[in-house]
Amino acid sequence: MGRLARLAAAVTLALLPAGTAAADDRHLTIGVSQFPPILHPSIEPSVAASYINHMARRPITTFDHDWALTCVVCTTLPTLENGLATRVTLDDGREAVRMTVDLADDLAWGDGTPVTTDDLVFSWELGRHPLAPYANIELYQRIVDIDVEGPHRAHLTVTPIIYDYNAINDLELLPAHLERPIFQDDPANYRSRTLYATDPTEPGLWFGPYRPVAVESGAQVVLEHNETWAGPEPFFTRLTVRSIENTAALEANLLAGDIDMIAGELGLTVDQAIAFADRHGDDFQIDFQPSLTYEHIDLNLDDPVLADRRIRRGLLHALDRQTLVDQLFQGHQPVAHTSIAPLDVAYDPAVPTYGFDPERAGQLFDEAGFDRLEDGIRHNADGDALRFTLMTTAGNRSRELVQQVLQAQWRSVGVDILIENEPPRVFFGSTVSRRAFDHMAMFAWVSPPENVPRTILHSSHIPTPENNWAGQNYPGFRNAEMDRLIAAIEEELDADARLPLWAALQALYAEELPALPLYFRSNPHVLPVWLEGVRPTGHRTPSTMWIETWRRIDRP
Amino acid sequence: MTTGGPRRRHLGLPAAIAAAVLAGLAVAAAAAPLVAALLGHDPAGVDLLNRAAPPSPAHPLGTDELGRDLLVRLLYGGRVSLTVAVAAAAGAALIGTVIGLAAGYFAGRTDAALMRVTDAVIALPLLPLLIVLSAVDPAKVWGGLEGDPGGGLGRIILIVALVGWTTVARLVRAATLSVRQRDYVRAARALGTGHLAIMVRHILPNVASPVIVATTLAVGQVILLESVLSFLGVGIQPPAASWGNMLTNAQELIWTAPRLAVMPGALIFVTVIACNLLGDGLLNAYDPRLGGNARRPA
Amino acid sequence: MLRFAVHRGLQALIVLAAMSFVVYALIGLMPGDPIDILLSGNPEMTSADAERLRALYGLDQPLVVRYLAWAGNALAGDFGFSRVHAVPVEQILLPRLVNTLLLIGAAVVLALAIAVPLGVLAAARAGSRLDTAINLACFAGVSIPPFWLALLLIMLFAVALGWLPAGGTGALEATGLWDQARHLVLPVATLTLASVATYTRHVRAAMRQELAQDYMRTAAAKGTARPRALWRHAWPNATAPLITLVALDFGALFSGALVTETMFGYLGMGRLIYDSVLGNDFNLALIGLLLATVMTLLANLAADIAYAAADPRVTYRTGPG
Repeated sequence: MGRLARLAAAVTLALLPAGTAAADDRHLTIGVSQFPPILHPSIEPSVAASYINHMARRPITTFDHDWALTCVVCTTLPTLENGLATRVTLDDGREAVRMTVDLADDLAWGDGTPVTTDDLVFSWELGRHPLAPYANIELYQRIVDIDVEGPHRAHLTVTPIIYDYNAINDLELLPAHLERPIFQDDPANYRSRTLYATDPTEPGLWFGPYRPVAVESGAQVVLEHNETWAGPEPFFTRLTVRSIENTAALEANLLAGDIDMIAGELGLTVDQAIAFADRHGDDFQIDFQPSLTYEHIDLNLDDPVLADRRIRRGLLHALDRQTLVDQLFQGHQPVAHTSIAPLDVAYDPAVPTYGFDPERAGQLFDEAGFDRLEDGIRHNADGDALRFTLMTTAGNRSRELVQQVLQAQWRSVGVDILIENEPPRVFFGSTVSRRAFDHMAMFAWVSPPENVPRTILHSSHIPTPENNWAGQNYPGFRNAEMDRLIAAIEEELDADARLPLWAALQALYAEELPALPLYFRSNPHVLPVWLEGVRPTGHRTPSTMWIETWRRIDRP
Repeated sequence: MTTGGPRRRHLGLPAAIAAAVLAGLAVAAAAAPLVAALLGHDPAGVDLLNRAAPPSPAHPLGTDELGRDLLVRLLYGGRVSLTVAVAAAAGAALIGTVIGLAAGYFAGRTDAALMRVTDAVIALPLLPLLIVLSAVDPAKVWGGLEGDPGGGLGRIILIVALVGWTTVARLVRAATLSVRQRDYVRAARALGTGHLAIMVRHILPNVASPVIVATTLAVGQVILLESVLSFLGVGIQPPAASWGNMLTNAQELIWTAPRLAVMPGALIFVTVIACNLLGDGLLNAYDPRLGGNARRPA
Repeated sequence: MLRFAVHRGLQALIVLAAMSFVVYALIGLMPGDPIDILLSGNPEMTSADAERLRALYGLDQPLVVRYLAWAGNALAGDFGFSRVHAVPVEQILLPRLVNTLLLIGAAVVLALAIAVPLGVLAAARAGSRLDTAINLACFAGVSIPPFWLALLLIMLFAVALGWLPAGGTGALEATGLWDQARHLVLPVATLTLASVATYTRHVRAAMRQELAQDYMRTAAAKGTARPRALWRHAWPNATAPLITLVALDFGALFSGALVTETMFGYLGMGRLIYDSVLGNDFNLALIGLLLATVMTLLANLAADIAYAAADPRVTYRTGPG
């Protein structure tokens, strides 16, 4: 039916004279390499969905360009210092924080309904509901009460008290007037019945500067001005976000002028962008934005050889990571020393580092007993070879290149590496998440700024059959001091007082090496020379958070 | 049906050239370690300071995106690609021959049942199926397969053989059906010779030629298939080189270092076309009536 | 004849039923349910989250129970929801199926339009230089990796010359049929080029057989004009085996469509199946694979029946093969 209508429209339009070229100045077509599974902000969150969502909706709070927490939908960030947040004790004796959140009063859903605390309460109730199909409901459970005071003011009670108590970035506002009846009708099937899935072009779902007017699943989303947006008038009248998965085809589309830009958040890899810049650097603005995405190798610490810290240190000393990033990525992706990025406030510049030192690596391997060379491979007295399997996601060309360089570098100090890659769904679906990798697994973590690595490093988060394979401590790292530091950081509300704790955590990480740090990824934004106002952040907030500031500079 | 056209029993020039080319490629691939030793290059020898370098005395064809010698990589890649192709085609031929022989020889219900199975396998959409199979967790099927250092070589051979046997089965069945009523087969049966002995001694030699032709054509097809699987990210995994994954990896460097894509692409092209020409020549030599009528297994 | 068709149709149904089980089991063998993938991507999910979501999606049931439940629903016309697209499976599949059939249909028609004259010409002048040239060109055509051909076409026509869009389907609105057609050109050309070679060889082979028949020699002896004899007498007889061969090539065509769709970002079935398999969209992958199976079965069935109908030499008894 929809298809017929579309065809009819196409026929009609084909008969009309083509005279729309003048308006094209105000159209922007963005190429991305993935299409979002669903446009709902909280069900199966994906980078692609977040990229589009920030054009059409806004979070209550978010991290800004300076990686500082800031209010978007609320008017003032509640803190203990400004008095909008206060410590309280709950009836059951638990310590909590009560925060006052004022929603901006000029926000309205696309159908004219104002955005109010009713939406806030509904969104919270949905997230807490046992049948909510949300991936992560930790925040919704942490908020134990919402006390409404008028259409724009509410008091949120949060427990336990942790230092980022006021970061409610992930509490995404939903339109209660549209979604509440749908959810209440049949909570179990909300995922397939939500308007975000069944009718994403419904104006009432969106309150940002733009709203989707056409969604072609798997191919593209077209957005136009949202009439109810009270903020600055955006320059572009129409945005098209087009998904092209094959990156060679994505490049070709850009060169052919079918798309104007490639989004840095989900587009080319750095090595692809470098090759592209070599040829077309003058015709485009190519910006490499360093990010928090941490590429590393998890080591399975249950392996008796890898359990020896000398081996882990030797492995890192044997790698010339600086040459690797210089040659493969022209230095655009900085070498990592721990899981904390240099751009993060929590980063400690004094963290111990492991330079390229094959001799030191050799000594460490000798000390660990692997002191005899046979066919260029180190062996110990029992005749065991110093040999590891290194796994990563098959088909990720960038990682496969790095992997082969690592193999060659380790080989030159007598460490034999067997490469065994798997398609992402096998690799993440069972091998990594069930700790089924023998020795090494290479992948990346994406995290928000100043994020406590509790699930990654705390000993209570090692996936086992008993805990239903939950947790991301894939190396199986158990360290009482690390557990203590994680808890201490979470409980320390004073930002300055947290810094020494962060420094201690990084020092411990560098000393113990539960994983081998490689580098932090960069996002290459490939933009037309005439586009201004795109400011990537490097963290999870996409550049489209400020889409209303994007403009053409060659046109008035 | 009357037979027409000249009865040729020789291969013909194109097929002879094709056979020579294939033999040359096979020898070159077999000699890969020799060439590597001669040039002093390790196929996995990464040289980050010498990436995508043009041809030089040290590297006759230049280096690839990680500074490895392109010539050595191509030869090692040829070993993998040719091994996969020949092994998968031979495996498919073996399965197909057994099924075709059984169906044709026993006829009746056996035949009907086996041919229905064949129809079912033909009806499976090959490429999507290969993608599913490549994503299947080996642990669930074989109770944990041990490491496969060939970058998934064994798995691809197995999968292609398991779904690629139908052409041979049909050809062998048809040939068997026509042979089984001949006098010498009847005579053997009357003498009390066992089924297996009859099939192997009397029928198999008569159905060998279509099998050889189909297998030759299949080798070319599997080489193409491997390149497509590599393109989709489920082919031979690095660091093992295959022509397919070398071609896929060179996609992005097509403008900066076209050599990296042209060489494996040309080798795939030459090998496949040689297989097709050889198969065509063999077909003409064995059975001129069928000239150019053989079906692709893909 | 009717009995033959019914008999073959019934057999195809049985094959389909068996295939549904095989395909279901195969997809069940793929590791990692959607929750595992969510878990690995989201450091903040807890074991309680995982269990809650598994129960929500019914993933805690054993495979056989799920198959039986699924088969029952499917027979009742309920094919389930796509996990990724969050709509009933058929809502996603049908438009994609139409797109793929459009792509394949256009490619087959075009390929035949080129292949038939070429093949007839080659057969009529068998052994000539022209024949050799056509033959070699065909071998070249089937020997190029399809994605490579697509990339070359994109680079030539979209990037270097800028005549055609490099990919995607036409925009939803504000563009006309012309724009939609332009988006079809390169994908169709890619698929056509690969098929032309195969079809030309089929046509040539079928015509060669006919030209060797006695009636053709008689016609030649009687002085019937050569082109007339070719097209009026030999060609109609050659179509039966040709139809069979073209129908049997459907599977290959579908595989070709998958690569073409991936390369051009074209929204077809092939890519949908690929995405759903890799994206763990169980229902969609299952129905997509089955639909592709049905289409191949139908093509084979049509080939059998068309062959039986067009060629008087075939008997209608339940001859297998």
